[in-house]
Amino acid sequence: MRTLIIISHPDVDESSSQQFLLQSISHLSSDQVTVHLLEKTYPDGVIDFEKEQALLRLHDRILFQFPFYWYSSPPMLKKWQDEVLTDHFAFGYRGNKLEGKELGLVLSIGLAEKDYQAGGQEGFSISELTRPYQAVAKKTGMTYLKPLAVFQFPYKNEAEKMRLLIDYQQYVTLSKPDSLKYREEWLVKALAETSEETLPGENVAFVIDQVIERVEDNRMELDELRMHIDNYHD
Amino acid sequence: MNEQEWIIQELERLFETSQDYKQKALLQEAIDILKEQDLRKEQLQGELDGTLWSPGNWGV
Repeated sequence: MRTLIIISHPDVDESSSQQFLLQSISHLSSDQVTVHLLEKTYPDGVIDFEKEQALLRLHDRILFQFPFYWYSSPPMLKKWQDEVLTDHFAFGYRGNKLEGKELGLVLSIGLAEKDYQAGGQEGFSISELTRPYQAVAKKTGMTYLKPLAVFQFPYKNEAEKMRLLIDYQQYVTLSKPDSLKYREEWLVKALAETSEETLPGENVAFVIDQVIERVEDNRMELDELRMHIDNYHD
Repeated sequence: MNEQEWIIQELERLFETSQDYKQKALLQEAIDILKEQDLRKEQLQGELDGTLWSPGNWGV
């Protein structure tokens, strides 16, 4: 699976959350992920729509990543949508070029999660406020992914930032980022590949092997328990 | 100490010694997943026990 991350931000170099996210995936190869910074690619605002459409066709998962300004994106991403997602390409006669791909949002949001609900400070949920993107996915035949919303990045502690780092890596690379089973498979692969050079001490390889074995044994037990329950109901 | 507790303790030890930020995050994810698996095993075991002991299924 190849992922295209389309970032729209007025000053991505000065954004601590955007820099953190970019750093989180800096080790991924260009076969896996393409990071595309709109404002940097088109400083004069003139978008090469053919180049953009070619880029979209090369990828399976398309992510729009931006700060959530006034319940929408910065203007550059809207302009990009207007000029790139055109008739005969994204919709209309023979406009099926995005069909079967996935569309996801990575939102950085200044307020807390609790504010986005009926009765909360903002009064509406993120699902309600992102309806236009859901409609884009529907119209173009794409599968809409549950967004990755980053609330109040500067207030996060180290443990929360580390969880965000992993969530983001999985959001970019994992076929079902929400599933425990898929997260387990991702973890086992990542642990097997982790470098021992940055892990001083004894028995490191042994402990890592034990962790992998434990995760896999737990999965077998979980699947067996589920099977017993399902059998009983049959 | 059971095996699960021992492994989590070892992971916490590796977390402290790791010199790489992304690796630390990965080790924390390993701890989170092991704990989540344990919780789900407990929940499924509870569901299975509840199913087996439900008077509605005794068939008398």
